[in-house]
Amino acid sequence: MLNKYSLQRFYKGWQIFIKNPLGKTGVIILVVFMFMAIASFFVPLIGPMYDPMTGIDPDIRVSTGPSLTHWLGTDNVGRDLLAQLLEGAKVAFIVGLSAAFFSIVIGTLVGMVAGYTGGLFDAFLMRTADIIMVLPSLVILLILASLFGQFNIWIIVFIIAIMRWPAVSRVIRSQTLSLKHRPFIEASRVAGASHLRIIFRHIMPNVLPLAFLYMTFRVTAAILVEAALSFLGFGDPSQVSWGMMLQWVWKSGHMFQAPYWLIPPGVCISLLTLAFYMLGRAMDEVLDPRLRKEGQS
Amino acid sequence: MALLSVKNLTIGYKTKKGLLKAVDNISFDLEKGSPLGFVGESGCGKTTIGMALMGLLPENAVILDGSIQFQGEDLVLLKEKQWRRVRGAKIAMIFQAAMNALNPVHRVEDQIKEAIITHQPDMSSADLTARLQELFSLVDIPVQRMKDYPHEYSGGMKQRVIIAMALACDPDLIIADEPTTALDVIVQDQILQEIRKVQQKTRTGLIFISHDIAVVASVCDRICVMYAGQLVETGTKKEVFTSPRHPYTRSLLGSYLSLDNLNDIVIPDMQESPDLLSDIGSCRFADNCKVCSGVCRKEAPDWIDISGTHKAFCCEPQIIRGSHGKT
Amino acid sequence: MKKSSYILVKLVEVAFIFFVILTVLFFLFRLSPGDPISKMVDPMLTPEDMAHLIEQMGLDRPLWEQYIIYVKNFFTGNFGFSFHYGEQVSTIILDKLKWTILLFTTSTVLAAFVGVFLGKIAAWRKGSSLDNVMSISALVCYTLFIPWFALLLLWILGFKLGLFPLGGVLTPSLWVGNASLFIRILDVLHHLMLPLLTLFIINLGSYLLLMRSSMLSVLREDYIITARAKGLSEKVIRNKHAAQNAALPVITSVGLSLAFSINGGALTEQIFTWPGIGKELIFAVSNNDYPLAQACFLLIALVVLVANLIVDLLYAWLDPRITY
Repeated sequence: MLNKYSLQRFYKGWQIFIKNPLGKTGVIILVVFMFMAIASFFVPLIGPMYDPMTGIDPDIRVSTGPSLTHWLGTDNVGRDLLAQLLEGAKVAFIVGLSAAFFSIVIGTLVGMVAGYTGGLFDAFLMRTADIIMVLPSLVILLILASLFGQFNIWIIVFIIAIMRWPAVSRVIRSQTLSLKHRPFIEASRVAGASHLRIIFRHIMPNVLPLAFLYMTFRVTAAILVEAALSFLGFGDPSQVSWGMMLQWVWKSGHMFQAPYWLIPPGVCISLLTLAFYMLGRAMDEVLDPRLRKEGQS
Repeated sequence: MALLSVKNLTIGYKTKKGLLKAVDNISFDLEKGSPLGFVGESGCGKTTIGMALMGLLPENAVILDGSIQFQGEDLVLLKEKQWRRVRGAKIAMIFQAAMNALNPVHRVEDQIKEAIITHQPDMSSADLTARLQELFSLVDIPVQRMKDYPHEYSGGMKQRVIIAMALACDPDLIIADEPTTALDVIVQDQILQEIRKVQQKTRTGLIFISHDIAVVASVCDRICVMYAGQLVETGTKKEVFTSPRHPYTRSLLGSYLSLDNLNDIVIPDMQESPDLLSDIGSCRFADNCKVCSGVCRKEAPDWIDISGTHKAFCCEPQIIRGSHGKT
Repeated sequence: MKKSSYILVKLVEVAFIFFVILTVLFFLFRLSPGDPISKMVDPMLTPEDMAHLIEQMGLDRPLWEQYIIYVKNFFTGNFGFSFHYGEQVSTIILDKLKWTILLFTTSTVLAAFVGVFLGKIAAWRKGSSLDNVMSISALVCYTLFIPWFALLLLWILGFKLGLFPLGGVLTPSLWVGNASLFIRILDVLHHLMLPLLTLFIINLGSYLLLMRSSMLSVLREDYIITARAKGLSEKVIRNKHAAQNAALPVITSVGLSLAFSINGGALTEQIFTWPGIGKELIFAVSNNDYPLAQACFLLIALVVLVANLIVDLLYAWLDPRITY
């Protein structure tokens, strides 16, 4: 699959992508956040005071604003806010990317199978997808939280993936439908290839680019849902996420007094979501030539 | 006095690769009551001419030279606001029905009414209904179908609606751009007859654009053949159809199989598309021309008269004036 | 299919889906840790009350009987007793439902209308600075984190500038006294402003972007050229021909974005202590008030399904190409 031809196509796609202002900005923002996430591994090494979860500055009892030792200030128990922010970046990436990844795995499988088999099974799968797509993920997570207790971060990721695969599957399904009738598929069938083989060897490589495009949109949804869940207090208590930070500022009643605490996490959530969304839109242009501006091609 | 007089019209498209000359130095006259046909393959510039006559050229198009004289005005100089007065009322267009030319969410009668009211806002509602009925009967659509939506119409009926819409304000000139493409042959024939009937009845000026020379010949009195943005042959229908002189026109006609001349079938070769970007001074058809000589690649072609009404654009007068050339 | 039978089919569909959700919830309930009895019956009740309740809800019967009673209870509006309030859950949620519907419908309708209007203009002037400003702002709105944005608004407009109340739906002092209906309505509206503004801005972004991209693809259609050829003015082409066609896909998207809006609605209710179903659900979950949580959830699911149904029907009514 990684032959010269696909590398060429990738390179050409990259050129179009990077010319797009959305793509450019998106990538820049993403890179900044990636640095933040990587930095989060090193910050606690500076001193135990800087651990986002447990690092309490012994000299500080209340939430304070930005200072030399704490660049963004501290929360109300004396923990460094910047360390928390960096940790949040790491969590956001993990949650966003894994949830998105799982949802496209499920979505691609379902989409390919539905498109390929057709008939009643296809109709059934798509109807199920429609129903799931319509249900509000946060509400579902809430009721599940009430029944099953506090969730571990990976359970949250998994549930988000289960709620969000339908959108991917629709697109993959229509792509599969159009591929199904192509001559090379017919040829493999005549040559005796089994259905499974056709699906995985021939259809999947052709739908994967589309799947990855939609992954970016899944990431935005996942980050927002996890943040909302943490904000409400139902996230994984062992993880410091941006949503969690906002919950702390709200629950401790500091939201009106501590803008240095309130503003950064929200800005980060929005920027990261924005970046992924821009990425997705720019990739959209790469994959769909009709969307490109005149003069490019 | 000619209804429409086009002189030296040159239109280019601005593209990433440079200026593409879609229409190169075209001149022709149109007389009222004498339909004129434009024939040529896709990309030869005929649709561009049609669009230019309506002021509907896209944003990246530029009129580089020439004039379009119509009712005392030069259409090339018109501004958008002035065009709105002309479009629909004085010059109207019949599009391909295969296109999505009718708005899917408006009823058919409303769309035609809109065409009329835009230019005659003071028409009474009774007059409006009468005019609608008149138009529908002119194009043979049952009046009870007036309130339907476009998706409920067949292809042929949609085409008739488009014709009716073009006639709504009694324009002086109608441009028909491939109105029968994508219709099946029987319907095609019906539509052509419709257009002929309408034209004869209303005596409007008619320009008929098509890639199909037979279709053009069935409606028009005079034919202009285009290639690569230039006119290569003009003449009466009889002249062009029965004794074509330009090698391109011949190959166009040669792509027809007729039951009469099964033995004389000549299947034309695959042609390369002409390069419209470079401004070559010599003949553009040279690469695909079967009787091309050395001269053709060096000198510019010129108009060669065959009769008072028939002329061709070529470098070699012998080829044009000689007897049926060997291919 | 005739119109009436189409609506009927859709209603049956909604009912069926709801049944499925009901059933899934039933089984999840039984599967979750802890025994069902402690989840449905307040452990603080006296043993006699408990026994009575258990019998009423059939918790001592075999599973399939429980299911039947469960479904029957749902349709008769018997959701059990809230642990926290000690009242019938049904009375509680009915009271809250109206506030949610008020907030939700006003914000969605306003956001849709304004979004479509602005998106239409943005597409028409594609590439201009107006378009760029609108598109980027819409993008930012779309990705705002709702609780954070709500807190910001609360802080700036409510706390710092004191323009709006910090929460709730009414000022008790006004209502306990003999304030006129007019004053009471104004009071509610005053409280509605901030949550409405929050939801409005968040949803506006997505409608604007949707309408814009829909318009852009409609403007490439041939009937727009026909409209020009008829000599119509730009404004008429934009509003009558392009926008009417472009708005249709946006309507379908309203249905799809309902899930997103409901999530946002719940968060907004929570922050502004707007006494709606969303806030109630969050409260119930935090306090392990299972009967209440379950009822809120089912009600929200029902609202979502019905809202989708309305959107479907609206679309079918507006697009003449849809045959029933």
